[in-house]
Amino acid sequence: MFRLALKNILFYKGRSVTTGILTFVSTILFVVSVSLHNGSHQSMLENAIKIYTGAIEIYHKDYRDVGGNEYLIQDVKRITDKLATIEGIEVFSTRYETYGLLSTSEQSAASMIAGIQPQKEKRLSSIRQALREGVFLDENSGNCLYMGSELAKKLKLSVGGEVAFVGGASDNSFAADIFKVCGTFKTGSYEFDSSASFINRSYFDALMYADNKASYVTIKLKDLDAADEINEKIIKALDDDELESLTWKTLMKTMVEALEVDTIFNIISLALFFIVIFFVIMIYGFINVSSRIKEFGVLRCIGLSKRNVFELLFYEIFIISTLAIAFAAPIAGYISYYYTINPIVIEGIAELYKDYGIVSDEIPFAFDVGTILWNVSVIYVLNFLSVIYPYFYINSFRPIQATRHV
Amino acid sequence: MKRLFTLFLMLSIILFADEAQDIIKKIDNNLRGKNVYIELTMTITSMGHQRTMKMQNWAEGNKKSFVKTIYPPKDKGITFLSLDNQMWQYVPKIERTIKIPASMMLQSWMGSDITNDDVVRQSSLIDDYVPKILKRDGNIVTLELMAKEDAPVVWSRIVSEVDTSTYTSRKDLFYDEDDVAVRVFTFDKVKKVGQYFIATYWKVQSLTKKDSYTEIFIDDVKYDIEISDQYFRKSALKRFSR
Repeated sequence: MFRLALKNILFYKGRSVTTGILTFVSTILFVVSVSLHNGSHQSMLENAIKIYTGAIEIYHKDYRDVGGNEYLIQDVKRITDKLATIEGIEVFSTRYETYGLLSTSEQSAASMIAGIQPQKEKRLSSIRQALREGVFLDENSGNCLYMGSELAKKLKLSVGGEVAFVGGASDNSFAADIFKVCGTFKTGSYEFDSSASFINRSYFDALMYADNKASYVTIKLKDLDAADEINEKIIKALDDDELESLTWKTLMKTMVEALEVDTIFNIISLALFFIVIFFVIMIYGFINVSSRIKEFGVLRCIGLSKRNVFELLFYEIFIISTLAIAFAAPIAGYISYYYTINPIVIEGIAELYKDYGIVSDEIPFAFDVGTILWNVSVIYVLNFLSVIYPYFYINSFRPIQATRHV
Repeated sequence: MKRLFTLFLMLSIILFADEAQDIIKKIDNNLRGKNVYIELTMTITSMGHQRTMKMQNWAEGNKKSFVKTIYPPKDKGITFLSLDNQMWQYVPKIERTIKIPASMMLQSWMGSDITNDDVVRQSSLIDDYVPKILKRDGNIVTLELMAKEDAPVVWSRIVSEVDTSTYTSRKDLFYDEDDVAVRVFTFDKVKKVGQYFIATYWKVQSLTKKDSYTEIFIDDVKYDIEISDQYFRKSALKRFSR
């Protein structure tokens, strides 16, 4: 039956070539499209996580929902000691965040001021890479403030300028100081750049009575995909109902939901594409089968069963699909692999992105053998499904009737 | 008959509205007099511990107010000036006068449960709300103050229990824009000072943070005295800080 199928393929060249080309193109488009989709989503997440949000963050319960000094982590060293023993964590750091008023002689503005550990922050986030003017903080930077460029603009401040800070310390008492702007940053997020400032934790702790306290602990992982697994380990190690350890999926819920919606739309557009491909392949198969009714009638008369007819059609589509996929999959895989290593850079837009600091100007793909395999499987299944209707059509004729079909 | 009833109803509404407005004005008069000097102790309870602050306040009418912190030593000399609904602060430690922007008006004032807006928008009860009598129980009248549509206020509604024998508030319940009660002021220990009545104990409690509250004890109050206009100038912030 296999040989007969092969002969038929060679005999009906038009149908075979058309089906082969359609399968070939669909496979390449599907694999590349999924790779681009997954790669861009991964890149968006990585960029977002790189800027400031950690892969995992540990909070006192209600800090995120209610807020306030009542929900600060009080003995943060106890937590960091435990984190140091957990595998898979690349680096972690504590942050003390507060909202206060920054004021110059001309302007005042509310700001989120975060006490950070500069050396660790360099490895944790892209805040340092977002530097626009001046310098980033270091362990001895004292009252140096690293300020969002939009906030600096609002306060009419430049590097070297002084700004007064007033706010509430960790015990809710009054806190005030003069800070010096040592650097400004631009991440591309207007909201962040117009409201955030950073200062060395050791200096800020003394002002805010925040020694061994933290708003939260932020964690960078060696492998972002292992976030859930490592989070489980952290929760187990902390063993404290008053604390909550959250992965980026919860921390960036809005973004995750937006990406999910985008994925759904992508699936819908791909489904439409496949419906078209499926029907084109099926119609070609059907036309081919329609012109071979007499042939199938003769085959049935000389002893071929319905099952044999199905096998024949199955082998035909199997051979054509396999040949097309055998050529398409390596090409598609190579494209995906190449652009994973060398992401597409869109000329012109790249300049625009660079103006927005650290936001990537590259559109990477995501090469993954598993993904390519399921993409190829989908194409196979669609091709096999396309012979079902022609098969039933053929079998709607009785063998003798089929032999007389003109 | 129907017309007579409608006329009667309208007259009642107007009279009640006038009475409610009259009550609010009398409460306001008791709080301010022509001018007033107050010495107060503010105790802030939060996170299981207490902080105590002492302050002096000079106020004239509902547009001018000057506050000076005299205790604890760490905060001594911090001064606040509110003038025509704007607010400035002087911090001796950094020798800076800072204008509090509108965006910070809902922030806590000196770490208490009082907001900057409470300190500045002292005239809002009369100007920005429409009062209505909800209930009478002897001398106690319950008023509802609904924010006027165009009023720049943060509370959509305030329900106030007023003792009409002294024209002092006993309890004020504040509702946010979603009409959820979020904060309560309670007043006690009413004292007569000259022709005015004033509650000498105030308690402010956020309904979202059950364990934190602020108590204000009025230690001394003097009405209708001579207050130098110097207190209500920006230069006063630094000058009277010492």
